[in-house]
Amino acid sequence: MKPESVKPKVAFFDFAGCEGDQLQVANMEEKILDLIEVVDVVNFREIMTERSEDYDIAFVEGSIATDHDAERLQGIRENASWVVALGSCAAIGGINSIRNSQPYDLVQDRVYGDDADKIEAWDVAKPIDAIVDVDGYVYGCPINQDEFVHVVESLLQGKDPNIPTYPVCVECKMNENVCVFARNPEKNAANIKAAVDNGSPAESGPFCLGPVTRAGCDSQCVNEGTTCWGCRGLVPNPNENAHQEVLEKYGLSVDEVINKFNLYFGWQQEELKNEQ
Amino acid sequence: MKAIGKAEFSNFVDELIADDPREVIGVQAKSNKFAFDPLKSAEDLRLDYDVTILPPKKYFMPQRETLVKYNTNEGEMTAVNEVIPRIIFGIHPYDLIAIQQMDKVFEETHSDENYLAKRRESVLVGVNMKNASEWSFAHTMGTATTDSGYDLMLTDIGDKYAVEIGSVKGSELLEEAKSQLDDVGMEEIEKVREFKEELPDKFRDDPEFDPFELPRLLSEYYGKDGFWEENAEDCLSCGTCNLVCPTCYCFDVKDVNDITLTEGERLRTWDGCMLEAFAQVAGDENFREEKAARYRHRYMRKGRYMYNKFGDIACVGCGRCSEQCVPDIADPVDVFNQMKEGTNGI
Ligand code: SF4
Ligand code: SF4
Ligand code: SF4
Ligand code: SF4
Repeated sequence: MKPESVKPKVAFFDFAGCEGDQLQVANMEEKILDLIEVVDVVNFREIMTERSEDYDIAFVEGSIATDHDAERLQGIRENASWVVALGSCAAIGGINSIRNSQPYDLVQDRVYGDDADKIEAWDVAKPIDAIVDVDGYVYGCPINQDEFVHVVESLLQGKDPNIPTYPVCVECKMNENVCVFARNPEKNAANIKAAVDNGSPAESGPFCLGPVTRAGCDSQCVNEGTTCWGCRGLVPNPNENAHQEVLEKYGLSVDEVINKFNLYFGWQQEELKNEQ
Repeated sequence: MKAIGKAEFSNFVDELIADDPREVIGVQAKSNKFAFDPLKSAEDLRLDYDVTILPPKKYFMPQRETLVKYNTNEGEMTAVNEVIPRIIFGIHPYDLIAIQQMDKVFEETHSDENYLAKRRESVLVGVNMKNASEWSFAHTMGTATTDSGYDLMLTDIGDKYAVEIGSVKGSELLEEAKSQLDDVGMEEIEKVREFKEELPDKFRDDPEFDPFELPRLLSEYYGKDGFWEENAEDCLSCGTCNLVCPTCYCFDVKDVNDITLTEGERLRTWDGCMLEAFAQVAGDENFREEKAARYRHRYMRKGRYMYNKFGDIACVGCGRCSEQCVPDIADPVDVFNQMKEGTNGI
């Protein structure tokens, strides 16, 4: 065990999010004992009441949506040697960025009703790297505990964590899942034929965002018989157009495709557009 | 050639499951598809399958494999080679031919013990194809039948299986079914011959090329950038066409440490040349950055590079890539036909 004094101090902070990622850390059971062997946790609302402003590594959960959030985040950045985005809201905007494509008034009205005018928020939710420099990312909604351990371990060793840049399909194939697009060949064939003959599919088809979503979760949702919703965000260079064509070919309407892409990719899609 | 009644064959498999110390693997249904998996009962064995999602290479080169374990406190490093002896039932001829190609790669280049030990400890029981995937073009590639690569080879001849012996490993396995085995007469020999004669009709009839002209066609097309860009336009760089291919063997090696940095292991996992980071090297240089370059590379490997090095056309026509590519752009027949027709691209 390392002497007390050289252990880096770790703090957890949350912004707009559900704290589900911190809960994943709190639920690490015996692995959390290993964690506190190598770091001092000085700030972690989920498991302790003490507070400290003296820390080396800051794990930040949640998106940034107000001036006040942004100031607080900047303060954290000044205090910490390393800032790590914890979970999709912090890393990519995540679920919060669903609203980015909707009119702000409408969003405010829906969420706060009569109190809408008392709330002062930005019209878009942003990931933390839109505000400050970020040294590491733990993707996922919620995060995967093993990947969290890997990121911490890499930071402590001063090396880049090994986070996949390839899509979920890679893990899905390694797990030998039946692909979502192959689960119901008769329905798919009918849909594809209807799309060719009448210009639109017969009924809504299967969808999976695995081909454009960053792997690292071991394709867990497909393994369990559902589909990939894209919670880890887009791969660095997604071929979104090709995948939209695929989804439309299998029977999703253009609006349905946009809705699926907006669930987690709201902010990232804006970014990609701005780059182009 | 020997023959065994189907009921007796099932008993033989069940006895192996119950008594043989080796793991018994067989092709089984996996919802509406098929996969090689450990057998619990001979009932689950589906020797009438068309194609499996993954090829049997996963047993010799697992998706994830520990090569080394280390402990930094004690300065210890141990080489790991986890070998589970297996009897694998139901390998189609194209996969047997692919395994022989993989054997060359792992044996003749740097003698990869992790692969070779698993191969040595496996018994391969092939089966001639009763059904073929609608994507398969094995007949065109000359892989619909094989005279080698198996320890035993089964052919469904009605109420019996004809059994061909390919090796001592195979005949030793048969020892356990000795009392139920018959020598064959002309009737069985004829049936096997007929079975093989009917095979070509089960495959696609659209291939327009001969496999042995692929090295020349590919060399002509290497520099036609427009051709590759057009074909790769919808590529999602998902690597599926590599991962499901029985002749793709690329891997990545990485270290996984526990959080206290004392213990860890060096893993090798499947990789694929269609993935964006595959050809990325230190300094972030990527010598196949564009998807068209990666797409071209895969075809060069299948039809030209492997031939030049090992004498094998490294596409056995299983059709797995054709079927499983989500945007439906990975079909080798389509690309090879375009070359044969003289399509230039823009
Ligand atoms: S991630 Fe989705 S699209 Fe990709 S292989 Fe799996 S099920 Fe198919
Ligand atoms: S399969 Fe998709 S939605 Fe599920 S955990 Fe992985 S990235 Fe998230
Ligand atoms: S399977 Fe298709 S989309 Fe995926 S890498 Fe291969 S060609 Fe590209
Ligand atoms: S390239 Fe495709 S068809 Fe050829 S062997 Fe590989 S997976 Fe099968």
